Amino acid sequence: MQLLDRYLQAIKFWLPKSQQDDIVAELSEDIRSQIEEREHELGRKLNQAELEFILKQRGRPFLVANRYLPQQYLIGPVLFPVYKFVLKIVALCYLVPWLLVWVGFRVFDPRYRATHTISGDLLGAWGSLWMTAFLVIGTVTAIFAGLERAQSKSKFLENWNPAKLPPVRDARQIPRYVSVLGVVANLVFLTWWLNGKWSLIVFEHSGVRITLTTAWQFFFWSILLFSVLNVPFFVVSFFRPYWTVLRASIQLAFDFAGATIFCLFLNSRILVEIVAPNLSPERAARIVNAINTNMSRALPFVAIACALAIGLTDVGRIIRLRAGRTRPAQDLGAAAHHLS
Amino acid sequence: MAHSAQPANSEVFENLRMELRRGSLILAVLATLRTEQYGYTLRKILAEHGMAIDEGTLYPLLRRLETQGLLQSQWREEDNRNKRFYRLSSEGKQILKQLLAEWRGIDASLNEILKEKGYATSRPVLAGN
Repeated sequence: MQLLDRYLQAIKFWLPKSQQDDIVAELSEDIRSQIEEREHELGRKLNQAELEFILKQRGRPFLVANRYLPQQYLIGPVLFPVYKFVLKIVALCYLVPWLLVWVGFRVFDPRYRATHTISGDLLGAWGSLWMTAFLVIGTVTAIFAGLERAQSKSKFLENWNPAKLPPVRDARQIPRYVSVLGVVANLVFLTWWLNGKWSLIVFEHSGVRITLTTAWQFFFWSILLFSVLNVPFFVVSFFRPYWTVLRASIQLAFDFAGATIFCLFLNSRILVEIVAPNLSPERAARIVNAINTNMSRALPFVAIACALAIGLTDVGRIIRLRAGRTRPAQDLGAAAHHLS
Repeated sequence: MAHSAQPANSEVFENLRMELRRGSLILAVLATLRTEQYGYTLRKILAEHGMAIDEGTLYPLLRRLETQGLLQSQWREEDNRNKRFYRLSSEGKQILKQLLAEWRGIDASLNEILKEKGYATSRPVLAGN
């Protein structure tokens, strides 16, 4: 029976101290009864293999002991789906910007391409990724473990008010406050813009003067036109607060035009001169050059960000409207209305 | 019917069967322990009545029921060996009575639903007092 004693000892290790002897004595009795019964059936003592078979059937010592332990969770089944969701969001928030910046450098910066290989970049990223993942997952897990403890004590998740649920979302609707904000913001902007911004000297005060190239005239009128056209768009949206494919397409055209103007602006080496007291002309020229160069360098990232934002919002909206995916939301709204 | 199910479904069936039996096993254990038993004989009695339960489930369950005050246990020597005997406490008897009433209610409701849907129905098998 040495094997049985070894088995029981292995189980005992995992049991709570206060119950170890009691549980092991009962288990021992149960197993001995089973062995005796089997020996009685066979009319002989069990051999080693037969005893091993019985113990194997009973299960690994840790698993047997585990059934006597209270169920404990670091993060329980109630919070686990939220925990998983948060981890995914955090991973996306880290990986997507990193990927975009990296792709931007590789595609648009020849100096970066010359000094970095793809495999070197990926290896370097892989190394730092582990440390970041360790820190992020550890932090999120610690927060959720704390929430789990709080939830098991106060049951705060059970206290909720149905009246505070968000209204049924209708993806077609344009909130009226957005239209009002759009009109107000554009009118304020136009007032400020028309107040002397057409001049090539955009700033002159206390001896400081900033002068732009003649290309500024193009940007001035483009932005003015852009802002003027936005006002009726928001006014129409206020009175007819629903997206249609036509309106979504106009929004796409606006956003595309705005993004293009901005990208051209970045690439135009717009600054001509900066004059300031105590600033030598040579130093001023270096600053002007640095600003113009850095604006050009920022172009790829701005272009990617614009394309991404337009793609995700405007193009996505048109696709949804075309596919009629908003119907379930409308149906939900109708059902809610019916019930009330 | 269940045994002819596809392998993929048999796992689903097994999980559902275990879920269905879990509550019934508590009832069977309480009902059996109206007369004193020790673990091994209790397991054999349950198995003989078609309610087989593995020791890894039974002993923790017995401990839980004892902690809840539904069972009483006592270590005693029998056949030259120390054995732990369990029996229903007075509180356990009360709870068993309530659980049996609940069981019969569930059985009656289920039979009613099955009858309406044209399935064969069963008669309540647990008679207790």
